[in-house]
Amino acid sequence: MIRKIRKYEGWFGATGAVCIAVGLYFGLAASPPDSYQGEVVRIMYVHVPFASTSMTAYGVLTVASLWYLWKRDPLIDNLAHASAGIGVFFTSGALYTGSIWGKPTWNTWWTWDARLVSFTILLLILIGYLMLRTFIEDKERESRYAAILAIVGAVDLPIVHFSVEWWRTLHQPLSISQRGVAIAGVMLYPLILMSVGFYLLFTYMVGVRTQMLYLKQLLEAKKGRLLGEVHL
Amino acid sequence: MNFFNVIRWLAWKDLLSELRSRENISSMFFFALIVILIFSFSFSMDQQTAKELMPGIMWVAFVFTGIIGLGKSFTAELQNDCLENLQMNPIPRGAIYLGKLASNLLFMLIVEVILFPLFVIFFNLDVFEKLPLFVLILTTGTLGVSAVGTLFSAMTVQIRAREVMLPILLLPLIVPVMIGAVEATGGVLRSEPISLYRQWIELLIIFDVIFTIVSFWLFEFILDH
Repeated sequence: MIRKIRKYEGWFGATGAVCIAVGLYFGLAASPPDSYQGEVVRIMYVHVPFASTSMTAYGVLTVASLWYLWKRDPLIDNLAHASAGIGVFFTSGALYTGSIWGKPTWNTWWTWDARLVSFTILLLILIGYLMLRTFIEDKERESRYAAILAIVGAVDLPIVHFSVEWWRTLHQPLSISQRGVAIAGVMLYPLILMSVGFYLLFTYMVGVRTQMLYLKQLLEAKKGRLLGEVHL
Repeated sequence: MNFFNVIRWLAWKDLLSELRSRENISSMFFFALIVILIFSFSFSMDQQTAKELMPGIMWVAFVFTGIIGLGKSFTAELQNDCLENLQMNPIPRGAIYLGKLASNLLFMLIVEVILFPLFVIFFNLDVFEKLPLFVLILTTGTLGVSAVGTLFSAMTVQIRAREVMLPILLLPLIVPVMIGAVEATGGVLRSEPISLYRQWIELLIIFDVIFTIVSFWLFEFILDH
């Protein structure tokens, strides 16, 4: 398994880089400015991929955590760990670019909107997850507790989202949803390109990080700090 | 031992040791009292602002004291390897969770019941006709906090830096409880018609049901060798 990741990860990284480069060209130069938001809208091409990738990161973390509790495979735990770490990067990116976009359009850096609050909670849970892992010595227990936290968070996040939505909301509705696409084609293509690029980048980063965590664990096992259970 | 007996004995055991030491409830109570005092010094309040701020202050005080109680809930089991013994016993894990949940809920509710009259006095509230609604909101809100809290308390007791990790993990997750409880309490205090805040009480009940079930299931994996 780890060899397979090693073999294909380069392709993911390279294709992702090409997609992002072409997407940036179309998004920043070739596509027209928005009729309401003007040039400011161009941050969408980075913000939306950041946001959707961070949700995917939490999705991967949840599935991997459930899988770990079921099968107890250390490599799956490394995948969950990697996904959480990379998720922190993408979630902070989404919050950061969203804040920059919010200033010219809503005239505020920050507001207590449903999506903003749920992304902040998402970030806090991910950071809590990584912190929890550093505070447990026993490797098996660390994986188990982290998986439990990830699953509780996965159940909690939709409830957080809906409760804050009832509370107050300002965010513009999603442009691409089940109700259809409310976005012009010439702006949609760079957005799709960027999203695909971000997903590939995410896959590449998670692949590399999973390997790193796995090899680190292997090294510790060979040094004799960890007994048993690790196998190539 | 059957399922319900385990729950009853665990909760009874916690209650009995609390009755003898009175450590938990008294420390929770005085901590909450100090939180309230600090809040009243931090905001200079007149009658009107007090009514607006009071639900938030009350729930912050309740949740903070809850965390103190929850943190102690499993540390007591570390002495004399009681936790190990609980793990080795052939009793359902879920029953251990429910027993601990029952005692945590009970301790928090006792403290809240003592504190509530103080809020009424400090903030000049008029609550007597709406007491059943307050009881409902207090119980559902507190159950939400302790359902997730009991799970994390069992988890953090076995790790380093447990005093820090419990609030760090718990507080972000109980945001819906905080919003729901504060909004519902505010609605009752402002004497709004119940249709305006019924959704918040429903949110609390939904949260309670979901997280009692999820924690009940996940607790299995905490006490696991």
